[in-house]
Amino acid sequence: MRISLNWLKQYIDLTISPSELAHHLTMVGLEVENIEDLGGKYNNFFVGKVLKVEKHPKADKLVICEVGIGKQQYQIVCGAPNVTPGQKVAVGLIGATVPRNQHDSDGKPFTLSQVKLRGVDSYGMICSEYELELGEDKEGIMVLPPDSVGGIPLAEYLHIDDIIFEVGITPNRPDAMSHLGIAREVGALLNREVMIPKIELKENNEPISNFATVDVLDSVNCPRYTARVIMDVEIGQSPEWMQNRLKAVGIRPVNNVVDITNYVLMECGHPLHAFDYDKISDHKIIVKCATKKESFTTLDHKVRILQSDTLMICDAKLPIAIAGVMGGESTEISDATTKIIIESAYFNPRSIRRTSKYYGVNTDASQRFERGTDPNITAWAVDRAAQLINEICGGETLQGRVDVYPERISEKEINLRIKTTNDLLGLSLSATTISELLSKFGVQLIDDGSKDSAKELLRFKVPTFRPDIEREIDLIEEIARAYGYDNIKLKMSSSVHFLYDHHSFEYIDELRQQIIGRGMMEVVTNSMQDVSVASLTTDKIVKIANPISKDMEALRPSLIPSMLDIIHHNIDHGIANLRLFEIGKVYFNDHITNEFQVIKGYSEEDRVVLAFSGNAYPSAWDQKPRSLDVFDIKGEILTLFEKISLDNIKFIPYSNTDALTEYGLTIEINGEYAGLIGVIRSTILSKFNIEQDVFISELIVSVLERNRSKKKQFKSLPKFPIVARDIAIVVDDGLEIEKIESEIISAAGKILNKFQLFDVYIGDQISPGKKSCAYGLELRAEDHTMTQDEIDKVMQKIIDRIQYNLNGTIRK
Amino acid sequence: MTAGKSRPRLSITIMVEDFFISYIGNTMLNKIGKIKQSAINDIQTIRSLSDLDNYRIKYLARKGLVADLFDELRNVSAEERPHIGKIANELRNQVQSLFDEKKQNLESNVKHEQKRLDLTLPGRLSWVGTQHPLTQTLDEIKRIFFRMGFGIATGPEIEDDYHNFEALNFPPDHPARDMQDTFFISDKVLLRTHTSPVQIRIMENQPPPVRVIIPGRVYRNEAVSARSYCLFHQVEGLYIDEGVTFSELKGTLVAFAKEFYGSDIKYRFRPSYFPFTEPSAEMDITCFLCKGKGCRMCKQTGWLEILGCGMVDPNVYKFVGYDPEKYSGYAFGMGIERITLLRYSIDDIRILFENDVRFLKQF
Repeated sequence: MRISLNWLKQYIDLTISPSELAHHLTMVGLEVENIEDLGGKYNNFFVGKVLKVEKHPKADKLVICEVGIGKQQYQIVCGAPNVTPGQKVAVGLIGATVPRNQHDSDGKPFTLSQVKLRGVDSYGMICSEYELELGEDKEGIMVLPPDSVGGIPLAEYLHIDDIIFEVGITPNRPDAMSHLGIAREVGALLNREVMIPKIELKENNEPISNFATVDVLDSVNCPRYTARVIMDVEIGQSPEWMQNRLKAVGIRPVNNVVDITNYVLMECGHPLHAFDYDKISDHKIIVKCATKKESFTTLDHKVRILQSDTLMICDAKLPIAIAGVMGGESTEISDATTKIIIESAYFNPRSIRRTSKYYGVNTDASQRFERGTDPNITAWAVDRAAQLINEICGGETLQGRVDVYPERISEKEINLRIKTTNDLLGLSLSATTISELLSKFGVQLIDDGSKDSAKELLRFKVPTFRPDIEREIDLIEEIARAYGYDNIKLKMSSSVHFLYDHHSFEYIDELRQQIIGRGMMEVVTNSMQDVSVASLTTDKIVKIANPISKDMEALRPSLIPSMLDIIHHNIDHGIANLRLFEIGKVYFNDHITNEFQVIKGYSEEDRVVLAFSGNAYPSAWDQKPRSLDVFDIKGEILTLFEKISLDNIKFIPYSNTDALTEYGLTIEINGEYAGLIGVIRSTILSKFNIEQDVFISELIVSVLERNRSKKKQFKSLPKFPIVARDIAIVVDDGLEIEKIESEIISAAGKILNKFQLFDVYIGDQISPGKKSCAYGLELRAEDHTMTQDEIDKVMQKIIDRIQYNLNGTIRK
Repeated sequence: MTAGKSRPRLSITIMVEDFFISYIGNTMLNKIGKIKQSAINDIQTIRSLSDLDNYRIKYLARKGLVADLFDELRNVSAEERPHIGKIANELRNQVQSLFDEKKQNLESNVKHEQKRLDLTLPGRLSWVGTQHPLTQTLDEIKRIFFRMGFGIATGPEIEDDYHNFEALNFPPDHPARDMQDTFFISDKVLLRTHTSPVQIRIMENQPPPVRVIIPGRVYRNEAVSARSYCLFHQVEGLYIDEGVTFSELKGTLVAFAKEFYGSDIKYRFRPSYFPFTEPSAEMDITCFLCKGKGCRMCKQTGWLEILGCGMVDPNVYKFVGYDPEKYSGYAFGMGIERITLLRYSIDDIRILFENDVRFLKQF
C-alpha cells in the first residue's frame, strides 16, 4: 500500500531521512518496495514573479525578464509572446531538468545551465504547460493565478511535494494498513509518541434512535455495527488538501462524503460506508445473510446474483450493500443527498474473504476486513468521519451512535514462557527485557510471574488491533521483531544426519552428466501444454481447471512434444544440428495404483528424452556431412547404456500409424519396457513446423535405475590368446540381421568373445535378392589356447546352422 | 706386444672401481670420457642428414674416433684390457644408438615434409554437451547443503489442498492463500505452489530428527512476463531436532550464502510472514552488481532478496504429530530461477525456458 510521508508526519515527528525511514520499516517487517518522490521532477522549479520585461537589444523575438523568487532576482531571457510584468510564473533555475523540450520532436527532457542568448546571460527558464508536463499548451508560458504564493517550490505549489513509500504488507498485518498503523510501528521503533487526532464532535439534541434503527440478525458474521446519522449535509467536491492526500495514496476523489470515508480508512485503517439516509426504506438497517438468489447492483454498476451465505446490509425491504465488500447503487451518495448514515462495522474476516472470492471483488474495505480489523475502533472511526463531515460538508450530527455490540471482543491474554522464548530464538532475555520489548508494540504485561513457582511464566494482554497475535509463538515473533533479527547471533551446529535415501536423486544427476558427456545439451521446458498436443500420446491427461491460457491447459504426458517446440525454435534460428535432452516429469490421470501415485487418481514419472536432428557428426574439412539415421541413435543409446551399466538390452522394431513416431524400436531391459527410439512422423513434424528429420528416444528413469548392474565385480583378465576369424554370410535380403546373430551366438557358445558386423553388401557380386553380411568373430577359450582343429569345428558349426536354419551360404 | 711400442710402466696408480689402474689405462679412460662427451654434444647440433653423415665419419667410420680408440687398446696391458675394452665397447654402442635415433628422427621429419602436412588445418571436433543453467545452480546449492549434512527428499507436483495449504497452517478462507495464485486440477487437487508440502510428507513418515533439502518444480497461476513464469523451481530446507534455534537458522543460511555468493557479502534478515513459520524472515544480501549502492537489479535498494525462512510454526507440528514442546526446527526456501537470473545477470526469466542453443552454449 502507498504511504505518504507528509500524511505520516501529521501523526509523528520524524527527523530521519526518507531512506532511513524506509530501512527501519523494512527491518521491522514492513518491506518498503519502492520510494517515490512525487515532486522530484520539479526540483529547482519555483513560483516566481515577473518584475520587469525589457526588449532584447539583438533579437526581436526575445525579451529580458527580471524574475523574483523570494528575495532573489534572476535575469532570464524569454521567447514567449505572453510574458508581462506582474505575472506569477513557473521558473526553472540552473540545474532543473525540464521534463519536456518543446523544440525537440520527441519532447526529450533537458537540464538547464547558465547560457548566453544573443549575448545576454540567462539564469533560468520560464516554462510552458507542455514543458512542465502539466498540459499540452506550447504557445506561451504558463501564467499562474495572481494570488499564488511566490517563492515557494513548484512541487509545493502543486501540492505534490511528497514522498510515497510503497509498503508490501503481509497478510498477517492488517493493523499496518493505514497511516496511523504505520506511525504506530515507527513510533515503537524510534521511541516517539504517536499523535492520534483529537475528536471534538458537536451533536445536536435529536437522539439518533428517533431517526434510525439497526438490527443485526447475524452477530456471528457481524459482531459489531456502529452508525451515525448526519443531517443537512451539502455534497460537493472535497477540499484540495484532502483530494491531494487521496491522490497521493492512489485513491480517486469522488465527492466530499465519500472522500472523507476513504480518508478515515487511510488514516486509521477502518473501512466506513456512507448511505443516503432518504433512500433507506423505513430508515432501518438489517444485517443478515442473503436469503434468496436475487440480483443486486453494486456501486460499480455491476449486477450481481447473490448467493445464500453472503452477509448483506439491508433496509426494511431490500439489500443495500454487500457487507464489508461494496455498497449498492440504490443508496449511493449523490449530489442530491442531504442526509447520510455512516456505517462503521466489524465483520467476521472469513465471511468477508468468502464473499470477496465468490464475487471476485477485491476492495480497500474487503482487503482489511478479511485480514481482520480492530473491533474496538468502530466508534472512534465513525466519530472522526462525522467530525470531518461537519467541518467540510456542514450539517448536524444527531445525538449518539447506534452501536450493536452484543458481546465485546476483548484483548486476548496470552501466557509466555521465558525459557521457551530463549530456547527458540537462541537468546537469553530476562523477563524485564521481554516485557519492555513487547510493550513497544502495545502488548502489555499483566502478570509478571511472581506467583509462579518457576518464575518463568509471564502473561500479556494484546491490543485488539493485532488479530495475528494469538499464541505464545506469535509473542515470540514480536519479541524477535522488537529485538531485531540482525541482533540475533549466528550459530551452527555440527550435527549430521544421514536419514534419507537420495539414491534416485543421485542417479538422475549421474544420468545427466553421462548424457552431457555424450555431447548433448540439456533443456528445461514448460510442463504445461495444449490439450491437443498432450493428447497425441495418451487420453489419460491431467487437465488444469483454471489454466492461464488454452495452450497451457494440460500437464504433459510425454517429454517429446515440448522438445519438438525447442527443436523448431532452434532450427528457426539457424541451428540445424541438434542434440538435446531433458530429464523431467510426465503426468497421468489414471486410476491404477502404482508406485508413482501419491495423490489418488494421478501419477507422475521421471523420464529422459533425447532428441537428435541434422548431421551425424560435426562437419570437418575432410569429412562429408552425413544425415543422422536411426542406427546413429541406436548406437548412442547402446553407448549410453554401457556407460550407465545396463545390459541385457533388447530392441524390438515397431511401426505404427497413430503415435508420435512413425517407426522405431521399443527398448526392453531385463524384459522390462524402458522406453523407445523413434523417428518422428512427418505429419507431426509439420504440426511443429519442422522440415527435417527428428529422432527421439524417451526412456523411463526408474526402469533404468532399477535394472542397472549394481555391484561391480572384478573378473581376472584372460590368459589365453584370441583367434580372429571373418565370415561372410549370404542370406535373403529380407532376413533380419538379429536372426543371423542369434545363430552365431548359439552355435559358437561360450568361446565367442565378441563379434561385429563390419559390412553389409547387396550388388552384382552376389545373386539378386540376397545380401552378404560380413562378420568379424573373436574366439577364445578360457582355459587353454585353442587348436586349429577346434576353431575349424566351431566355424563349421556356425556355417551349418546358417545353412540349415537360415538357408544361407558362405561367401568365399 | 713389441718392446719399441712399449710405454713406461705405471708409476702412479689410481683407484677406479675396485682395482688399480695404470697410467696408460687412465689416459685411455680419460679419452673415452672425452669422446663420449663430445659425441653427446655433437649429436644435439645435428639438423640434417648430411650433418649426420659427417658425424658418422667423425665417430663411427673406419678411421673415426671410436675405431682409433680400439687401435690404441693394443697399448693397454693385458690385465687391464678386458676392463677398458668393455668400457670402449659401451662407448661404441652408445654412439651408435645416438646416431641411429637421430637418423630415425631426421628421416621421419623428411617424410613429414614430403607429405607437406599443414598443421594449421582445424582439428576434427565432436559434439559438445552442456548443462542447463538451472540444474547447474541447483547442483551447486545441493553440494553446499550436502556438505552441511543435509539429506534430500522429493514429493509430487500434483498435490492435495491438505498438504499444500491446510497442514502448512494456511486456514481455509485465509488471505495468505492469495500470496500464491494456484492452478487447480479439481476441487481439492492442485499443482503445488511451493515445495513446502514435502515437509509435511516427510514429517508424516518419519520421526525427528529431520534434516533435508527438497528441490522441485512448483507452479503459480501468474501471467508470464520477463519477471515471472507460470512455473519455477525451489529448494526447500527443513531441520527439526531438539534445541534448534533461530540463531542456528541464521548461522546455517549465512554459511550457505557465503559459500554460494562469496564470503565478502553483507546480509540482513527482515521480519516477514509465512503461515508455516513463526518467527518468519526474508534474507537479503548486498546487491552484487552495484555492491549495495542501488541499481536497476536491486530496484535501487542495494539489497537482493534471496530466500524466505523461519522457525516451523507449532501448528504445523500438530498436523504431523510432532511434539512442539520437545522439538523445534527451521525451514527455508529459495527460488532457483531467481538465483540463476541474478547469478548470470539474465534479465528475462523466459529465456531459461526457450532453450535456444546459442543461450545454452554460454553455460
